[in-house]
Amino acid sequence: MITMAGTLDFLSVNVWHILMAIGNLLILVLILKKFLFKPVQKILKEREDEIGKTYSDADKALSEANAEKELYQKKLDDAKSEADSLIKTASERAKAESAEIISAAKTEAERRRKNADEDIELAKKKAAEEMRDSISEMVISLAEQVVEKEIDQKSHASLIDDAIESLGE
Amino acid sequence: MQIDVTGAKILFELPFGITITETQVNMWIVMAAIAAFCAWLTHGLKVRPESKRQIVAEFLVKTAENFVTGNMGKRWKWFTPYIAALFSLAMFSSLISLLGMYPPTSDLNTTVGWAIMTFILITFYKIKTNGVLGYAKGLTEPIFVMTPMNILGEIATPVSMAFRMFGNVASGTVVSALLYAALAALNNAVFGWLPGILGEMGEKLPILQLGIPAVLSLYFDVFSGVLQAFIFCMLTMLYIASAAEASD
Repeated sequence: MITMAGTLDFLSVNVWHILMAIGNLLILVLILKKFLFKPVQKILKEREDEIGKTYSDADKALSEANAEKELYQKKLDDAKSEADSLIKTASERAKAESAEIISAAKTEAERRRKNADEDIELAKKKAAEEMRDSISEMVISLAEQVVEKEIDQKSHASLIDDAIESLGE
Repeated sequence: MQIDVTGAKILFELPFGITITETQVNMWIVMAAIAAFCAWLTHGLKVRPESKRQIVAEFLVKTAENFVTGNMGKRWKWFTPYIAALFSLAMFSSLISLLGMYPPTSDLNTTVGWAIMTFILITFYKIKTNGVLGYAKGLTEPIFVMTPMNILGEIATPVSMAFRMFGNVASGTVVSALLYAALAALNNAVFGWLPGILGEMGEKLPILQLGIPAVLSLYFDVFSGVLQAFIFCMLTMLYIASAAEASD
């Protein structure tokens, strides 16, 4: 093995060179930390945070949607039951009204029938009174005729027949 | 015929006998390239990725984290940058030989430095887990006379790591140099006898050196470089993790 000027031996030990090798290694550790590991780890952390945030947002949105859905379901149910009760009361009222109308009509009819009966009775009474009046008149006139004129049996009979005939009219 | 196998060229001489060689300069080039690559990968990152760059950056980080936590456990996730730096520096320091540059990992000082770091970390975690007394007591077990052996065993770990990596990368350089020399000789032998100008051209043109070294370089530079970086990182992780766990 030949050592030339300006070169190291193939096998040489130099404390400075050893220290420089260690120093170079440690410097490269810092370089890699600064230029590779720190930035990449930072970005990975940020991505993790963002994904976590996305998940929590999604969960939140889902729970909100569920709550709203429940609210709307409840409102829908309320509206349905309200509509049902409305229909029910309306139909009940209609039934009551119809019953009222029918009963009113019935009483009216009853009243009218009663009036008619009363009228008939009144007319009957009136007719009877009139008849009584006309009979009494006739009897009176008949009596007058009997008193003023002397009439025979024959004229009696004819008078009576006339009276009866006039009654029959 | 002379074949020279030497270490790194000395490029600068600083005061106090400090020299800057190809090892340091090439390692700085590798570090600058890695830093530039990382900065390019991670500029303009978005929470919702739009570029392939970002996907590559995230893939690299995730892979490194899985590599470390898979071998050492979840609580060692913070250790990832060290292993990533060790792996990338070791791998590209070996692969730089593909560009015809001197690979810093074929300098023993480099691998010894990194192995010393591993040794420091192993010892630190052994002492942290067991206490100073526990660590010292561990060296005297099972019987007191074994203490020198145990100390030797502790030191053998970084030494073997350093020499394993250095040997693999440096031997690749040596084998490449030998192969080039051998092929040059063979080239001369095969083409040199041609008459006249053809012989002169045949001797000068590196015809045989053209394809064959590429195949060997695929093993020595690419495969071995990546494998040794991987092994160095694996051993570092496993030794440190077991040092931190071996509480009793």
